[in-house]
Amino acid sequence: MEERELDLAGRLMADMDPRLLQFLQTKINSFVKWDLVRFFHDNPHTTDTADNIARYAGRSVETICTELADLAREGVLEENRLGDMTVYSLASDHQIRELLEQFVKASDDRQFRVKAIYHIIRGTRR
Amino acid sequence: MERVKTGIPGLDEMLGGGFLHQTANLVEGAPGTGKTTLGMQFIYHGIVACGEPGLILTFEEFPQQYYRDAASFGWDFRRMEREGKLRVVMTSPEVSRADLEQVGGRIERLVREMGVKRILVDSLSHFERISEEPVLLRGIVYGFINSLKREGLTSVLTRESVALLGEAEGEDDVLAFMVDSYVLLRYVEIESAVRKALLVLKMRGSNHDKGIRQLEVTSRGIEVRAPFEGREGIMSGSPRRMVDSFVQAFVRR
Repeated sequence: MEERELDLAGRLMADMDPRLLQFLQTKINSFVKWDLVRFFHDNPHTTDTADNIARYAGRSVETICTELADLAREGVLEENRLGDMTVYSLASDHQIRELLEQFVKASDDRQFRVKAIYHIIRGTRR
Repeated sequence: MERVKTGIPGLDEMLGGGFLHQTANLVEGAPGTGKTTLGMQFIYHGIVACGEPGLILTFEEFPQQYYRDAASFGWDFRRMEREGKLRVVMTSPEVSRADLEQVGGRIERLVREMGVKRILVDSLSHFERISEEPVLLRGIVYGFINSLKREGLTSVLTRESVALLGEAEGEDDVLAFMVDSYVLLRYVEIESAVRKALLVLKMRGSNHDKGIRQLEVTSRGIEVRAPFEGREGIMSGSPRRMVDSFVQAFVRR
């Protein structure tokens, strides 16, 4: 019974643009990542170290280090060496930027946010 | 000599027509005196009146803050960014320094691709984060300023002053020697009201107005107005009427 309810909820929550759902499930699968992509969306020309990004985002560097590396691996961010520093910037890939733009726009809608939160929580429980 | 006009009424006259090309120009003042506004106006004027794209390097404020502040003066920075005439880059001193030291770095590419001629660096005070050692810090800032010149940029570099009124004690003025011009913004208290003053303290290679002028932030941006008349000790933050000083010096004796 409980499983059937979950499935129903899951189906309801999956009622979103399939591209955004995939983006959410595969790339933005934590609240910290959500914050980080929002930060890079708002500051698309930022290139900086994890330390400084943590400061801008109001998080600890320990919290965001792995998440930044994950986002870089998933192609949302670019990770580069600059002198003796590792720096992150938003990927220049046009499709990623467009998807991010859609995601951030969609996040302004409460219904979408509820669904996105559901998927993130479900993802972290797996 | 051709000048880089700031577009700020009154200031260009004080500077003998504007800044000199490919120079580093320091604007120092306490919070709220108008340093960033002056820098934004310099960038805005370059874009709309001189066809010179601009770059803003911010080490503290988010770009949204610049868009908002600029919009309050009727300057549409978002549109200018979309049109490729402006770029507001939030970064840190250590990253921008390393970037400029690289051949073909991000800033160098931006300058080439956009044809950037003017830059606002807001603010140089954040370089103090890199090193507490004054000699090392001086070398770092000197290298940074020179790399901006190497790229052919005319820069406005802001610096925060800790003193709200009057001179800040113990400020390291090494930077004043490195830059080509030095503009001071100060709060002054006159008859129980706080007003703002502007002084061009130094301008290498050019004559300039040595007067202490009144500065107003209007709905159109900064305007530099007439000098403070009949007062002395303006930069102390608490000027006296000259007649009072005369009475104190001669009549009351």
